[in-house]
Amino acid sequence: MSDILKQYAEVVGQHTIDSLLAIAERLKDRKIVHVNSTRSGGGVAEILSCMVPLSIELGLDVSWEVIEGDESFFNCTKIIHNSLQGTAGTLSESQINTYIKANRKNAERLKDILQDADYVFIHDPQPAAMIGMFPKRKGKWLWRCHIDASSPNKSVWQFLKKYVAAYDASIFSLADFAQQLPHPQFIISPSIDPICEKNIFLDKAEILKTYSRLGIGTDKPIILQVSRFDRFKDPLGVIESYRIIKEHVDIRLVLAGGEADDDPETGEILSQVRTAANGDPDISILLLPSDSHRTINALQSGADVVMQKSVKEGFGLTVTEAMWKKKPVIGGDVGGIRLQIINRFNGYRVQTPEGAAIRIRYLLSHPWNKAKMGENAKRYVLENFLITEQLRREMTLLISLDGKESSWERWI
Amino acid sequence: MNKKIRPFRFMECAVLPLATGISAQTLRELRSAVSGIPDSSIYYHFWGRMIRPHISESEFNNDFASWVNNSIKDIKLAEVLSAINPDRFQKLNEIRVILENILDKRLENEDFLSWKKADRDFYFISCKKLMFETSCEASLPEELPSAVKKASRQSFFYHFIDGRRRSPECKDDFTQWLEQFPDETQEARKKIQKIDPYLFSLEELKEQIASLLEESFGKGGENTDV
Repeated sequence: MSDILKQYAEVVGQHTIDSLLAIAERLKDRKIVHVNSTRSGGGVAEILSCMVPLSIELGLDVSWEVIEGDESFFNCTKIIHNSLQGTAGTLSESQINTYIKANRKNAERLKDILQDADYVFIHDPQPAAMIGMFPKRKGKWLWRCHIDASSPNKSVWQFLKKYVAAYDASIFSLADFAQQLPHPQFIISPSIDPICEKNIFLDKAEILKTYSRLGIGTDKPIILQVSRFDRFKDPLGVIESYRIIKEHVDIRLVLAGGEADDDPETGEILSQVRTAANGDPDISILLLPSDSHRTINALQSGADVVMQKSVKEGFGLTVTEAMWKKKPVIGGDVGGIRLQIINRFNGYRVQTPEGAAIRIRYLLSHPWNKAKMGENAKRYVLENFLITEQLRREMTLLISLDGKESSWERWI
Repeated sequence: MNKKIRPFRFMECAVLPLATGISAQTLRELRSAVSGIPDSSIYYHFWGRMIRPHISESEFNNDFASWVNNSIKDIKLAEVLSAINPDRFQKLNEIRVILENILDKRLENEDFLSWKKADRDFYFISCKKLMFETSCEASLPEELPSAVKKASRQSFFYHFIDGRRRSPECKDDFTQWLEQFPDETQEARKKIQKIDPYLFSLEELKEQIASLLEESFGKGGENTDV
């Protein structure tokens, strides 16, 4: 067995790896391709950057392709992204043309790889229209939606649905996000990689050194939110919570956001966050390069409480990452956060900045409960949200697509 | 002993959840939908929950009871629904009928809760269950503890949780296999049968069964062909 598989086995147990190898054997000699819109930054890129190597270690023939596009294309896909999460608005004729043109161009560039693949995973809306350019595709195509599409903007969804409907199946993170589509809609949670730099165990000295390097004092309890500077992550609501807590407890707030190549809105939201922080020396706003995995690991490991006060959330992998580091998380009561945080067991789901503030004050004044909830959080991730489990589900999904039997119970 | 002993062959299992597109906002909508959902949806909401994220502290043993409690706040009805022991029914449709009867009875009383809109919708989920053989097996009771420890969560689910559903006598696969050794395994079988699978997470159950088997048959079998 390879060193990488041995490292995974140390975390999830040899039995899990044996089970994955047995499933992978059934997909031997099948060509699998993943397509998304960025190589780095954001949850999808992070999942693929660990899932693809793990799949290869298991003996699968897997590749990962990234579509290309100019600023106008990514501005357009950002509108689609936000609209699927419920924001009002429509796509103009020229934006539709930009979207289709970029998809056509990428389809042409990737045609040799995609035409003959046995399974193609298309992630999120950006490359979704490419399927229309492959009328004679050989394999099964799956649309993987990572977004909270529970109440999409109707006109934008109707536009995208024309393409999505052509897929053989789709995958959503939660049943709440599924739509009326003429094909099977599987429910699979995303996951984190326990052996990557972002999630490995770091010693205290490295954590303190990182905080020091970033100019953040560790003399006061630290509240952290790690996420893109995106309106749906509600960084302004986090600052509001901080101010309420600050009336009672002297704390520091760290807002750490990554850069994503496919997110043109970052600058605007960041500027609003800086205005709201108003030069408060106890608020640190960090715009980290997309490869700052070890730094984010140290920030999460050293925080007293982690927040993810999203108002919309596909899944919330930063919640999973913090839970893996034994942190109780205060999260918005939305999307995939609902699946991860169980009130009073491993964190709290909240609706308002005030709700977040009261829960954080409680945790800071009850260290024993905080520690217990942190332990629960790690175990919960171990059992449910590691990359090994996601890959297992996706591999069995592919096998299930090959079946001709109509029964829901099948021997393979 | 002349009788040929058959080894315990470990199977793997995957339960893949599928959205049905059917949801309910009220008890009446739940009642109406229950009649039309596929059998696999009944399976998923009673058994499938064991293999997806859940905690042992969960008070209710099926999704219908949890939703009625958490989103409708009809605690009495939630308690009645939670008392359904799905292992007692051989056919999934029998559980559907029980559900229909309980909900019909509840809806005869047209009070506020019977038409209250839920805090969160109930999403009916169906599933596909795939099973396949593995090379792992145990030939003697002494080999079973280490083999159970080495089994994946999904394999354990298949043999312990799903096994009870498949057996007309509501016996898990381990118990049935141990019956080949009637005298030496009698005590262990009784103890296994007493474990309530709905009160623990899958990992907790696996640990419990493995240590119970270890206490009964020792830690032998480390060389089991796994």
